Amino acid sequence: MSALNFQEMIARLEDYWADDGCVLMQPYHTEVGAGTFNPATFLRCLGPEPWKAAYVEPSIRPTDGRYGENPFRFQHYYQYQVILKPAPEDVLDRYFRSLEAVGIDLEKHDVRLVEDDWEGPTLGAWGLGWEVWVDGMEVTQFTYFQQLGGLELDIVPAEITYGLERLAMFLQDKRTAFDLEWAPGVTWGDVYRENERQWSTYNFEAAPVDVLARRFGEHEAECRDLIALGLALPAYDQVLKCSHAFNLLDARGAISVTERASYIGRVRKLARVVAELYVESVAQPAA
Amino acid sequence: MPSLLLEIGCEELPASACREAEAQLRDRWLPELGGGSVYVGPRRLAVLVAEIAEHEPDRWVQGPPEHLRETAARGFARKQGVSEEELEVRDGFLGVVVPGRRITEALPEQLAAIVEGLGFGKSMVWEPEGLRFSRPVRWLCAKLGKETIEFEAGGLRAGHLTYGHRFTGGEVEVVKSDDYLETLRAAGVEPEQDERRRQISEGLDAIGGWRDPAGVLDEVVYLVESPIVLEGRFDERFLSLPPRVVETAMQSHQRYFPLDGARFAFVANGGEAKVVIAGNERVLEGRLEDAHFTFERDAANGIEALAEELGSITFVAGAGSLADKAARLQELVAELGGGEASREAARLAKADQAAELVREFPDLEGHIGAEYARLAGFPEAVCAAIEEQYLPDSADGPLPGTEPGRVVAAAEKIDNLTVSFALGQRPTGSRDPHGLRRAAIGLCRIAVEGGLAIDVGSLVRRDLGLLVEQQAEVADDPADVADFVFERLEGVLAVPVEFIRAARAGGVTELGAVAELAETLAAEASSEDFDRAYVAFDRSNRLAGKADGAAGALDPSLATDEAEVALISALGRASPRIEAAVAERDFAGAIAAAAELGAPVDRFFDEVLVMVEDERVRANRLRLLLDVRDAVGALGDLSQIPR
Repeated sequence: MSALNFQEMIARLEDYWADDGCVLMQPYHTEVGAGTFNPATFLRCLGPEPWKAAYVEPSIRPTDGRYGENPFRFQHYYQYQVILKPAPEDVLDRYFRSLEAVGIDLEKHDVRLVEDDWEGPTLGAWGLGWEVWVDGMEVTQFTYFQQLGGLELDIVPAEITYGLERLAMFLQDKRTAFDLEWAPGVTWGDVYRENERQWSTYNFEAAPVDVLARRFGEHEAECRDLIALGLALPAYDQVLKCSHAFNLLDARGAISVTERASYIGRVRKLARVVAELYVESVAQPAA
Repeated sequence: MPSLLLEIGCEELPASACREAEAQLRDRWLPELGGGSVYVGPRRLAVLVAEIAEHEPDRWVQGPPEHLRETAARGFARKQGVSEEELEVRDGFLGVVVPGRRITEALPEQLAAIVEGLGFGKSMVWEPEGLRFSRPVRWLCAKLGKETIEFEAGGLRAGHLTYGHRFTGGEVEVVKSDDYLETLRAAGVEPEQDERRRQISEGLDAIGGWRDPAGVLDEVVYLVESPIVLEGRFDERFLSLPPRVVETAMQSHQRYFPLDGARFAFVANGGEAKVVIAGNERVLEGRLEDAHFTFERDAANGIEALAEELGSITFVAGAGSLADKAARLQELVAELGGGEASREAARLAKADQAAELVREFPDLEGHIGAEYARLAGFPEAVCAAIEEQYLPDSADGPLPGTEPGRVVAAAEKIDNLTVSFALGQRPTGSRDPHGLRRAAIGLCRIAVEGGLAIDVGSLVRRDLGLLVEQQAEVADDPADVADFVFERLEGVLAVPVEFIRAARAGGVTELGAVAELAETLAAEASSEDFDRAYVAFDRSNRLAGKADGAAGALDPSLATDEAEVALISALGRASPRIEAAVAERDFAGAIAAAAELGAPVDRFFDEVLVMVEDERVRANRLRLLLDVRDAVGALGDLSQIPR
């Protein structure tokens, strides 16, 4: 079997997890640093209702950009996110079969689960799990969430986050993401190199610091207003916007070490209140 | 009786959890079961008890005291289901021996207690109200010989099945407990951790020349169930990177073992060797490529350009930038007597904090700066001092090997301590986020073992002055840094703390000299000379130390008694000798000189009354005693030393 190209690989994962009963979602419309921030994960994992979903999520991490010059660092890349709530007993076997579905022979390769405890300080979230290595290459992060928005979870979900570029580099035997075949005759670099260059310039040089700092405050205030109105979902979007403004300020080098902790604390506080509101108002058990 | 097997099947446990469980099973549960072996690996925790007793041990149930037999025996006996005649007496109490249950009855409860009783530093739940464990438990296997022991724990039913290697082994039956090891080995799992360690070491030795500076072998033993040692290569062009960068790229994340040249060894858990090697080579090359890319960018900037960026990097909020810190370090190394190399190293010491490579490899701070200084052609003394600035980095880690290195390392620690104390961030209890205890111990060792003269008090004052000039947000007087550092001497010297307290009050202030004085006091504490010096100090201090009305200066013409005149003249001889010996750090000599005051002081107390009516004579005698105390006091406050 010849290696799948990038879009075939995604399609294969979509098929696999759809067959497993997941709701196939689409990327969220607001910048997020990871698929965990998507409300389809963060909010849906709160409360007692079961939930199974899978989706591609662009991961926007301004500080990781390298102007498209470094073959391993990008400010924009893709994750494939799977949420299984509650985590089924055979969740690992299901995950391993998804690797087979994209063409990895589990007996031929050295597939390992290596301790990796996850913590998302802005979301007040943590969990235990692993990074999954295939022949030493980290292709997935696997986490059993324990807490989100500072709330202990009644039902423990499993979060499976594939690093799509890394997985594709492994499958296609490529040394840089730029060389990945996205579709026949089109590489990942064709699609995204210029994007990396321009956005790195924006993130590191052009993003307006005073405007971002002001926006952070505005989003924070709006979030509180929306919470007061009992609108957990729109309020949550403001948490995401705060988080992204913070990330950009960070990339601009505009945040000192102490300010950093204070910004993170402010986002976490919002996330906690939104999580509580969501649990009270939305995530009720079916009658 | 047959052997007993309990296996707890888990999703992949971290190495640290394996070790925690191993210790608990071995130290707490095995003795209770009667001894045997513990087998621990990423997917299973097991105990195998070679021969289990047929019954639980008998149990003594204590009842009422014997003298209450009349009133209380019957009730107790009834409650225990025995007749009154069956009650026994032990240590004045009535009681009954309850025979232990048959082990087959006791085991289900006992095994469940083991599964539910293991504790981990970091643990999780995976089912509502379920077990708390390091990672989810997925099966339990319990056998007593050929019998399967039925019990439930953590919502799981124990059975007779285990699981071999995750991808090649599958489900297998343990027919009888004694078969456990062979059953697993046939299913591609080496259950015995020591055997895995042996296999890995043997594999590495067969390749030869392996190194493990970060000590990952201890972890790798618990990361694999079926160890296969393999060798990989990488492109030689990466050998142009600083070797420790290459080594760290191999060890810190990937847990590879560096070999000579462009080679590495690693331990796989399965797969086809050729495929697995190719994959791991690609991963390492990716990491090295990344490091190389970063290194080239830094190198193109050069260390001077990196140093210029320090003004925009905050050191600690309230204490300015790293450029401010570098400025302070340059002043402090001058104060410490450092020469040109130390000053240059202090100027460049923090430059690598602006380097991208340090963001990738934070453990290599200092080292990377030194490498960049070498690239820029700085003298080796400067580069070595940059490299050594963080040493010693543990209580017994190596000291800087060069003089400029010791000077810069001492300045670095003084500044960290002063800044934290000045900002009101003293370590409390177990909270020491800036590693200040380690810094203080490091300072002590640089003074004591490294022989560098460090006058903590005056350096802290100088540093505080610089902070104020730089308009740092000084909230507190950091003068107590000196106390904090001297307290650490106790552990460094292995001298009781009283001697250190005593020595601190003596005629030396420099850290190494105080340490030497404390050591000398401790070594001489039972000598006759010390005894005499102590007497001179103690008797004069006891009487005059608390009395009011001593004269401002001694007037020898007021001396009338012979013993008084003798003491004055002994003091005149001894005092300059003590002072000179202390100045030369000949503390044993100073004790010998002070000892000569012992007899005159004794005689003085025997023959002379101090608290006489005549105020002038009394004041003069008190002054004489204070002068004696202060002369001997160049050796420290001897009253601190327990006699």
